[in-house]
Amino acid sequence: MSTDSKDEILKSHSRRLFLQRTALFSGMIALGGGSYLFNPRGAWAADPIKVGFALDLTGPISVQGLPCANVAKMLVEDINAKGGVLGRPLQMFLEDTATNETLAVTRVSKLVQKDDVDVVIGGITSSMRNAIKDTIVNRGKKLYLYPQLYEGKECTANIFCTGPTPAQQCDTFVPWLMKNTGKKFYFTGADYIWPHTLNAYAKNVVEKNGGEVVGEEYSPVDQVEYGATVHKIMANNTDVVFTTLIPPGLPVFVKQLYEAGFMKRGGRVASVLYDESTMSISSPAETEGLASCLDYFRAVEDSFSKQLFEKYTSLFGTKNPLSAAGGSTGTYRAVKLWEVAAKEAGSVARDAVATALDHAKIAEGPGGGAEIVSGTRHVRMNMYTAVAKGGKFDIVDKSNGPVAPGECLRS
Amino acid sequence: MRGLDNKLARDIVSTYRMMFYMPNRDETGKLGTADLAPFLFDITASMAIFVLAVLGLGVIASMMGIFNFAHGEFLLLGAYTVYLAQDHGVPTWLGMLAAPFVVAIIALALERTIIRRFYAAPVAAMISTFAIGLVLRESVRLLLGGQFYSVEAPLNGAFFIGDVALSKWRVVIILATIAVVTASYLALARTRLGLYVRASLENPALARASAIPTRRIYAATFAFGAALAGLAGGLMVPIYSLNADIGVPFLIKSFLAVMVGGVGSFGGSVLGASFVGAGTAGLPWAIKPVVADVLLFLVAILFVKYRPTGLLSLWRK
Repeated sequence: MSTDSKDEILKSHSRRLFLQRTALFSGMIALGGGSYLFNPRGAWAADPIKVGFALDLTGPISVQGLPCANVAKMLVEDINAKGGVLGRPLQMFLEDTATNETLAVTRVSKLVQKDDVDVVIGGITSSMRNAIKDTIVNRGKKLYLYPQLYEGKECTANIFCTGPTPAQQCDTFVPWLMKNTGKKFYFTGADYIWPHTLNAYAKNVVEKNGGEVVGEEYSPVDQVEYGATVHKIMANNTDVVFTTLIPPGLPVFVKQLYEAGFMKRGGRVASVLYDESTMSISSPAETEGLASCLDYFRAVEDSFSKQLFEKYTSLFGTKNPLSAAGGSTGTYRAVKLWEVAAKEAGSVARDAVATALDHAKIAEGPGGGAEIVSGTRHVRMNMYTAVAKGGKFDIVDKSNGPVAPGECLRS
Repeated sequence: MRGLDNKLARDIVSTYRMMFYMPNRDETGKLGTADLAPFLFDITASMAIFVLAVLGLGVIASMMGIFNFAHGEFLLLGAYTVYLAQDHGVPTWLGMLAAPFVVAIIALALERTIIRRFYAAPVAAMISTFAIGLVLRESVRLLLGGQFYSVEAPLNGAFFIGDVALSKWRVVIILATIAVVTASYLALARTRLGLYVRASLENPALARASAIPTRRIYAATFAFGAALAGLAGGLMVPIYSLNADIGVPFLIKSFLAVMVGGVGSFGGSVLGASFVGAGTAGLPWAIKPVVADVLLFLVAILFVKYRPTGLLSLWRK
């Protein structure tokens, strides 16, 4: 390495360089922003209602954020085409939270303060919800709807959760697993709050129904080797591996289980994170027989769900499909429930809409209708158990009517 | 320490118990001899994967003095090449053969346009590779829509020896690693080109005076390191499924491996990577995985602190 050019570089503090770098840097800032504004089409007499969406459009969680944004765009256009809400069009403010909580707080502050939106929908991970909720409901005094399946226990006023809770994902699912596979359960999960809480709930259901928990193990979020865990599972004669691992570990774990012969000897993997979008993560041979429980699957026999899926696919293609585990069905419920509540309240003021939301109900949606359980700010919905076959999910069990969320009950 | 009161002592003991609590040991509480074969295979496979993944980083770090933060993305590009092959109906093994060449060409272009400008300032060089890595990763994420895609290995399933399952593809990776390490070692230690590379590293001025084109040697070394990363990514992708972050878990552990092995030697990188690979797969057999990861880093940091010249220096005194 030449030392002369090193000195040159270190001594180069010219005005020209400074200007060049400043120009480059400000250019980067100008281009790097992640704010999108979608103005309503057509001519409207009334001022638009501002609906804010805070979703991860870039970074690792973008795989879940992108379909949520697609659903939001589709619904906003749809609602506007049918005359808007209270005679006013919806104007969509979309912020990219970029799978980065620090950045997200800044962008959500902009949404709440500068854009002064009437409601915020979004946040995918629990860490994201926890990062932005204070900015929205406490300091911003806005209504917040959280669309993703999660670990429960979010009972803050003015926050409504429209995704499935542990009760909804386990109450029908675990008994089905015990009846159709076996009673010995092994729990694995990534080491953060959702896997711990969901596994704890599922363990409780297993034990209540006379099953046995033969093991439980948590791994760092980015662990990529599961040989030791798989060996313990094989040594324990486990029937069901109930896993709350997440990508990137999830496909490696499933592959190692498959190669060790766990599925071949009659074992079943259960993961409530698997949906049609997650399916491509593993080869069809490895997921054969894998079971999941969610509020919507493509195979759901419901004409409205089928129409919705077709419309979504014709608009946005198949790369980021409409699927339940990514929060896009929860986004559907969030927008539609808010629409119903705003219409009933006759206003978009926070308290009026919150009061109406408390008992809001939609007759149709992905997987069927849904309604908010009064006093809990969580949604009662249909749940489906599905088993993977040849890389697709077949519905094997449907909940007997909508399942209660079991959260935020007054004791 | 006299100030160590009973409560603290109790806390330490209970923490220790918690760390080493195993949910499902057999009655004796120990791993038996029946576990030995799968344990050894698991460790060997993991060592092979890490050696393969680290080799490219080690070559660039030791030969050029640059820590390549885009290493994880070179792995990713290799993996992506194999995915593209599969997506277009080309057999994946062809994609795996093509991966090192594709990545080497991309790396060569990056070296000629960007990285060569920073040889005089290693810190700036690191930051520039970090930026390159970020751009590559987010571009691939955009192309994939953030999704994960499984890539079929040319060989699926497992060999069974008694009850012990040996994943076929992991066996292939072990063999490939041995071949790649041997070939790389011979190329660097036994060929004239290898001599030029080492000469350019030891004393660039003298090398130039002896008519060795050091700049071209640097470019070739960088491309070679990247090609190794590309090959590693291509071979690894059937195990991990393609995603934009496939290289990220390996980047940090690769640095750890190079630090432990000793910067500046090829053998050091291989040893360091074996150490990290063995620890990554082996420790969870004895303790909770969450603790294992921390423990691995702790041991490595202590090692670097007290043996800063690396593993190899232990028996090269």
